[in-house]
Amino acid sequence: MNAHAPQAERPHVIRDAKGKRPQFYEAPGLDQAMSMIMVLANELAVLHDRLDSAERVHAAKGLDLAAEIEALQLDQAALEAREAWRQDFLGRLFYLARKDASEAAAADTAERFRATIEDIAKT
Amino acid sequence: MSAEMLNTFQQIDHPILPKPTHDEASRQEFTKSFKQFIQQGLLPGLGPVFGVRAAKAFEREHGRAPADRRDIRAAMVKDLYFQHYAAANRIAQELLWESTNVTIDRELPDLIEKARGLSASAKGKLDLPEAFETPRYVTSIDIHCMPGGYAGAVTPDDISTGALYDRGVYLYAMGYMGPFNDDMGRSVCNYVNRRLDGFKPKRILDLGCTVGHSTLPYKELFPDAEVWGVDVAAPQVRYAHARAAGLGLEVNFAQMNAEETRFEDGSFDLIVSHILLHETSGKAMPRIFNECHRLLAPGGYMIHADLPPFDNMDPFTQFILDNETWYNNEPFWGAMRETDQVALAKAAGFPPESVKFDTAPMAIMEFVAQQAAGYSEDASAAVSDREFAAGEYAPGGGWEVLIARKA
Repeated sequence: MNAHAPQAERPHVIRDAKGKRPQFYEAPGLDQAMSMIMVLANELAVLHDRLDSAERVHAAKGLDLAAEIEALQLDQAALEAREAWRQDFLGRLFYLARKDASEAAAADTAERFRATIEDIAKT
Repeated sequence: MSAEMLNTFQQIDHPILPKPTHDEASRQEFTKSFKQFIQQGLLPGLGPVFGVRAAKAFEREHGRAPADRRDIRAAMVKDLYFQHYAAANRIAQELLWESTNVTIDRELPDLIEKARGLSASAKGKLDLPEAFETPRYVTSIDIHCMPGGYAGAVTPDDISTGALYDRGVYLYAMGYMGPFNDDMGRSVCNYVNRRLDGFKPKRILDLGCTVGHSTLPYKELFPDAEVWGVDVAAPQVRYAHARAAGLGLEVNFAQMNAEETRFEDGSFDLIVSHILLHETSGKAMPRIFNECHRLLAPGGYMIHADLPPFDNMDPFTQFILDNETWYNNEPFWGAMRETDQVALAKAAGFPPESVKFDTAPMAIMEFVAQQAAGYSEDASAAVSDREFAAGEYAPGGGWEVLIARKA
């Protein structure tokens, strides 16, 4: 997409199809969650293909990238960088657990949230 | 269908087809794989889930077994397995259009200029009237969830939804229609050549031609014939004309409504359509049959290729096919399959003994012979030789044709 031209000014594709989308799941939010999961699956496949392409291009040029990857020895710095990334990634996956724990620690409740809103609204 | 079938089918590039980057192509390929997985991996489970679980739950609730496809639907929509199946289908549909649109959006506005240039060089006519009313059955819902529908246009001379269809339908059909999406037209041409006692059409009309993917085989296989493709949607017609020009086939295109064209009485000897009828309406379908009769010369043939009607199918099969109506923005799909097409043909004036249903086998093995990329012998044979299984693309490896001959 051309980031410089405002959407309305350049020929562009239409994004959404007309016609009410059916709801498939009873649990609220699950339709959105499933579509999000499939978009993620799609991106994972794209990344996989790109790396596969990188290995094939290297092979065509005479470098066995896959074998080099297998033979790669990670030094301490690399081990630390990777572990840090994994822990951060897990933290992001479980961010709502983190939030839930901190609310419990502060004895925070939905009632307190409502009360805060009412209080701030007072003139 | 064999669980080991690896669908490696690839679309062949042509001048006006959008050109994806590496990652865009990968994104699009995933959607094709997802659809293949649903057909091979999830669809077979529907029968057991219904028989063992959903039907029993329905009986407990209603005191009787499910009797028809509506009952079956009422039972199945409560079952999580079916919810996953139906949601997956819908998501795959949405992702395949979206992944294609990314490429097109990147190529705009140049793609429109390219189409203009190709059309300017073409021998085939392009007839776009000043004023044309696109019917509501095409504009009110975006059929099969294609964003913008057939007729959506954002700019004058827009062809975006044509490009979207040309690439998107390849993914939708998982490549079963061949590298040029032309299997339906090719199959009907083969049928005409093999089953109509040497009939050689001289003037051929393809109704609801969209991007001309089914139309072009008629010019290829009947090179001396004058071939016309008509559609109600201007972006499709423009794109079709540019597409044919790029592929070097002289085919004429016009924006017309199959219910009422601008051609003269008796001016064609072969009129065809390919998966058009289920996208029209209860009112339009008889009018289309009448128009076919008017346009045909004596001895001329009308052939409509689509999926089979409901009458000979068991309720569970009907239920699976009917998912298109409810979940894929195909409002006329179910109703069309209950329409008595033979009666419509007779009412239009075709002699009763000339009206029948028949099967035109898919031409997919021809693409193997041509060594088209990805059309392996194994994969193609798996598509070609199939028992009828509802929910599969073109179930049974053939197209149902309704054929009639004018007296």
